[in-house]
Amino acid sequence: MPYRNERSAIPPLLETILRSKPISRRNLVFRLVPRGLLAALSLPLLQACMRTESPAETFIAKVPHYGSDIRSAILIGFRELGVGPGEIKGKTILLKPNLVETRADAPHINTHPRVIRAAADAFRSLGAAGVLVAEGSGHCRDTLRLLEETGMADILVEERIPFVDLNYDDVYMVPNAGGHSGLKTLTLPLTLRKVDWVVSMAKLKTHHWAGVTLSMKNLFGLMPGSFYGWPKNILHHAGIENSILDINATVRPHFAIVDGIVGMEGDGPIMGAPKVAGVIVMGRNFPAVDATCSRIMGIDPGRVDYLADSSGRLGAIREENIRQRGEPVGSVNLDFDLLQKIPAHRGLRLHR
Amino acid sequence: MVDFRTERIIDEIWKRRLPEGGFAARPGGEYRPDATAWAVLALRMGGIESQRLIAAMRRLGESQLKDGRLALSPEHPEAYWPTPLAIFAWHRTHECSREASRAVSFLLKTAGTHFRRDPNSPGGHDTSIRGWGWTEETHSWVEPTSLSIIALRSAGCNDHERVSEGIRLLLDRQLSRGGWNYGNTTVFGTELASMPESTGLALSALSGLTAQQAVSSSIDTIKESIRSLKTPLSLGWAILGLSAWGERPSDANDLIDRCLRRQDRYGIYGTPEVGLMLVAREAEGGLLHALS
Repeated sequence: MPYRNERSAIPPLLETILRSKPISRRNLVFRLVPRGLLAALSLPLLQACMRTESPAETFIAKVPHYGSDIRSAILIGFRELGVGPGEIKGKTILLKPNLVETRADAPHINTHPRVIRAAADAFRSLGAAGVLVAEGSGHCRDTLRLLEETGMADILVEERIPFVDLNYDDVYMVPNAGGHSGLKTLTLPLTLRKVDWVVSMAKLKTHHWAGVTLSMKNLFGLMPGSFYGWPKNILHHAGIENSILDINATVRPHFAIVDGIVGMEGDGPIMGAPKVAGVIVMGRNFPAVDATCSRIMGIDPGRVDYLADSSGRLGAIREENIRQRGEPVGSVNLDFDLLQKIPAHRGLRLHR
Repeated sequence: MVDFRTERIIDEIWKRRLPEGGFAARPGGEYRPDATAWAVLALRMGGIESQRLIAAMRRLGESQLKDGRLALSPEHPEAYWPTPLAIFAWHRTHECSREASRAVSFLLKTAGTHFRRDPNSPGGHDTSIRGWGWTEETHSWVEPTSLSIIALRSAGCNDHERVSEGIRLLLDRQLSRGGWNYGNTTVFGTELASMPESTGLALSALSGLTAQQAVSSSIDTIKESIRSLKTPLSLGWAILGLSAWGERPSDANDLIDRCLRRQDRYGIYGTPEVGLMLVAREAEGGLLHALS
């Protein structure tokens, strides 16, 4: 399973504070540790002292453009990561793209429909009983318009893939298994109970509040807007980083496929510039996938709050704990633009 | 005499009626307050007598909480955004006047979170102006604020300070290039894009209380894009927004018919979407004009 609850040797008092306050780990560390000491300690090092990580695997494929054979790249990734017919046959797979909003000049906002089609094909070729696409867009209440204007509707019709608008799905409530945000329960779409695998199909993007938006942040789109609002303001009030951790800990998604063929740099997730990265990144362990994506983008995952907080809890983010399959990070990395005017971008740059 | 295309939409909505009162969001589904409110509003505009809809209106009343709000479900009282929709449904129905009055009181005493504007905030809008949110204890956004203004105005609260403040909020959130999105103007100095559904709704709320010059760029935005809109939520509110300002497209009904035919492509629309299509068809002077 991608999310073992990896407990650590955090002192009980600190653990209590960390799990009860809706503030980010980095901010808390700043509050608890004298500034002089902080200057001497890098944050990842401090965290390394606090929690241990179990090893994880991620896969990187070079995919130069959307006309490439994306399906084959995904199938190679499945093989490398040990995903085969034995695990997929007869299962119902939910593909969760990142569909935010549309602008004619900015197709790089959203997961490309051809990546969705390739993933659907790949899962079907392994014997999946059903594949569906589901999204609960956070900005745009007209999901059909999003599907139409992104080109996703054409793919869904051509491939006969059902779509569920999670914003208006029936719901169920579960206890919040993360305990980071202060939200006691999470309200989830009933569709999650009807599928066997949840696959996050994010876009490789910087983000002006969270630093990056990748497979873990993409799960905000599971949360029904009819209960969380547009934008999903309840989660913003509860803390974006904390909510990312809570949703991931509670939903326990199964697999991540990140569309990094053309990503977004600068003022993401909607106003940034396109960045051709030419990669697909995959894995079962979401923090490891997001950490690998961050490194590809020239971002230190240990400096991204939600990733630092997920280390050892939800997965691995340290390079030595991530076994890299396919292409090495060094062969595909680029420095995505980070903007000084955006506080969440400051200090994220990875010093290679 | 009812147009046969209107009759077809009425039939489509009527099929979602539940034996115990109220409407489901889809055929065979369960009761939902927002679907019920949209169905009642649309059917009344389509010419169905109020008396035939009393059971649905009463069902809405049974869902009303003590403080007057209509929540999406009893487990989620915080999701109060169906309240203005219920006011539309109960509009001028003697049997439900008490419920409508309680809902109006709820809206008047409820506001989205607001706070002093921080000059260093990355957001461009004035956070101190009160409007309405989708859910309790969250910020005010364009669509719930617009719906609440329309509901209050339909209930005779044109001059109430909350309506005036809501109008101020909408004008503050209008994008400099015209139109509205969910409710952010600029973030980190970059202007965000407009969305037709939010723009149509805001135009509907502002009609008659704002000079046309103040929203002309938004009207132009919608006029330019309306024939490219294919989906019910965007098209329906775009038509209603233009209609409210006397700019209803001459082919509005054809656009609506085309949109309804696209259920072949998308699958069956939800009751709120079908209801919106019928309202957009019938309310030639905009939603507020139809309610008044």
